[in-house]
Amino acid sequence: MKSITFESISKQYNKRPVVRDFSLDVGEGERLVIFGPSGCGKTTILRLAAGLVMPDRGRIFIGERLVAAEGRNIVSPEGRQVGMVFQDLALWPHLTVRGNVEFGLKVQGVSSSQRRQRIADMLRLVQMDSRMDAKPAQLSGGEQQRVALARALVLQPQVLLMDEPLSSLDYELSVALRQEILRLHHEIGFTLLYVTHDREEAAQIGNRVVVLRHGMVVKR
Amino acid sequence: MVKYVTLVLVVVLLIVAGLLPVLAMLAQSIIADGRLSLDAYATVLRSRNQWALLWHSIALSSLTTVMATAIGMPLGVLLGKTDLPFRRAFLVLFTIPLLIPPYIMAVAWFHVLGRGKLVARLCGDAVAAVTSDLLFGLPGCVLVLSSVFMPVVMLLTMAFLKTVNPRLEEAGRNMTGWWGVLKGITVPLILPGVLLSALLTFLLTLGEFGVPHYLRFNVYPAETFSQFSAFYDFRAATAGAMPLAAITLAALVVERTCLRRRTYEIQLASQAGEILSVPLGRFRGLCLLLVTMLCLLVVILPLLILLAAASSLGAYWQALTQAGDSLVRSLLYAGTAASILTIVGFFAGYLIHYQALPFWLTIDSLTIFLFALPSTVIGVGLILLWNRPATNFIYATPIVIMCGLLAQYCAITSRITASTLTEIPASMDEAAQMVGAGWVRRVACITAPLAKKGLLAGWVVAFIFCLRDMGISMMVYPPGLDTLPVRTFTLMANGPTDLIAALCMIMVLGALTPLGILALVFKGSRFRA
Repeated sequence: MKSITFESISKQYNKRPVVRDFSLDVGEGERLVIFGPSGCGKTTILRLAAGLVMPDRGRIFIGERLVAAEGRNIVSPEGRQVGMVFQDLALWPHLTVRGNVEFGLKVQGVSSSQRRQRIADMLRLVQMDSRMDAKPAQLSGGEQQRVALARALVLQPQVLLMDEPLSSLDYELSVALRQEILRLHHEIGFTLLYVTHDREEAAQIGNRVVVLRHGMVVKR
Repeated sequence: MVKYVTLVLVVVLLIVAGLLPVLAMLAQSIIADGRLSLDAYATVLRSRNQWALLWHSIALSSLTTVMATAIGMPLGVLLGKTDLPFRRAFLVLFTIPLLIPPYIMAVAWFHVLGRGKLVARLCGDAVAAVTSDLLFGLPGCVLVLSSVFMPVVMLLTMAFLKTVNPRLEEAGRNMTGWWGVLKGITVPLILPGVLLSALLTFLLTLGEFGVPHYLRFNVYPAETFSQFSAFYDFRAATAGAMPLAAITLAALVVERTCLRRRTYEIQLASQAGEILSVPLGRFRGLCLLLVTMLCLLVVILPLLILLAAASSLGAYWQALTQAGDSLVRSLLYAGTAASILTIVGFFAGYLIHYQALPFWLTIDSLTIFLFALPSTVIGVGLILLWNRPATNFIYATPIVIMCGLLAQYCAITSRITASTLTEIPASMDEAAQMVGAGWVRRVACITAPLAKKGLLAGWVVAFIFCLRDMGISMMVYPPGLDTLPVRTFTLMANGPTDLIAALCMIMVLGALTPLGILALVFKGSRFRA
């Protein structure tokens, strides 16, 4: 497990500041939730950690490693070994459940026998082992959510970033999946940086919650 | 790094295939005996004949644009926005003239309005003499080219209707009926798109010389062609071609400065293809009657008459024996060029959509400029650039045709790709990036498979445009390696009418078959989904 450190990060889009002088330490194995209203900059912070956007100012560390500093990515997104679950889940519609989970393992050059084993283990863990050959469009919202988690976790990332992954689900399913996320965190062990605008979800998932408004931390 | 090298290579390819020939032509027109000289331009400007031809071209383009827009826009609204029955069938039928070489429609109309043809049999020789006189001249050219380019306006109107935010129309429906909403909200919103399609129609008509040549109406591109092919006067041909290039460039500037931002704003407000349908109510029958009559008149009648003119098997046999090799070459060239265009267009579209290089807008403008540029201009440029001993391996082989087709039609595949990529959420690529995939793998395993329908559609559209192309092929085909449109066009001067009709029907079949296959593929995939 690795920590994440943001040091005085600022980011603008079209000259509009989205994140302002943002500093935060997420400890190893911690479950930190960034909570705030829409447009407050929480997704941008997650994307900064992932390397999908570059900070205009400030530095980002993952563990001891400097990954971004002053307008440039020092480590590319694919080199950061960070897992991410997107708000729209971003399951590749042309691949099956197995294909979605397998893709990252193939990229990393894992042998086919090991791949089979790890896919089976991971899909069992998220209770999707019976739907391996289904395409994303054939899955329910909750099942898609589990596949997205499996895809991110199968690579055994030290850090997992989750961008409002339960926002499109109904309340009961959302509550059930929060328990799943906590169980997986307990069983696998990773540093979790979680973004939501739901107060109850934030309280349940995080062992620490940071409140963000207009790109600045207003409460820790 | 691989990403930038690949995209830069694509840009270089486009510059070599399209921009360098135009620059070579410009250089040729202003250099005489190794010195800077504007004599060729002075000659062009002093020539009353040149001014007359330019006036002919502008008159033809303007009238065709007015006619195509006046019919195409309401038709696009009827087919894209209302509950008119058989909309899909009408859409396919009205699009056919755009998919075949324009001169085929001219031949078809000749079989309807010409002396001794259908009108003569139905109404007598006196009436046919009048219709024939009208056909062979400006009115005939406007009639034929309007039916050929009207689908451009119709299709773009339909495409822009899909981008109108339905909430804006619903807000209007609280206050007025559908007629008021269409008049006051929908049509004003899509007006920049309609103007764009009108501009495109103007430029496509300006560059067309097959139809005016067949209908004996002298226009400017024909002058460029004859200066080159008949008199072999390069300087006159290049200087003569430059006004057309200048008009195209001016039109592109108008598009970039006045229309592009407005059409883009409409697209930003889109709601992922959701579209509100206007119920025609008691006018449904009347609209159906009018659209059916229009379709019968401008599409079905001329093509059926053409089919009837080529009804004997002997004509088809003769056509295949006389032009079978040209047909094979046409299919081969079109297939190869479409494949190259799909690959290059994919990366050009990727570059434009993701704004992956700082000069992405220049590349977008370049492809549009080359698409709108008359084929005779590109043809002259290609000859000037490659007709030298060191580059004979390009000039004397089909590679030169490939270069021309790449330059002229890259906008089609790049625009289709860019449009397809807008429908793929950025998170798809980002998710692959997060699991460690590099750019090549992401493109090969995620982006390209997700864009496969767009790529397939791009290939088919490119194939059809390359197959129907005559301007580029006519100018640059190496000796003995002509294409079917070129062979048909040359045979038209003195070949038997049933043979010409048979050749035209083979061309129609060649253009429509891949479209039918594509429709079946899409239909099949929809059923599977």
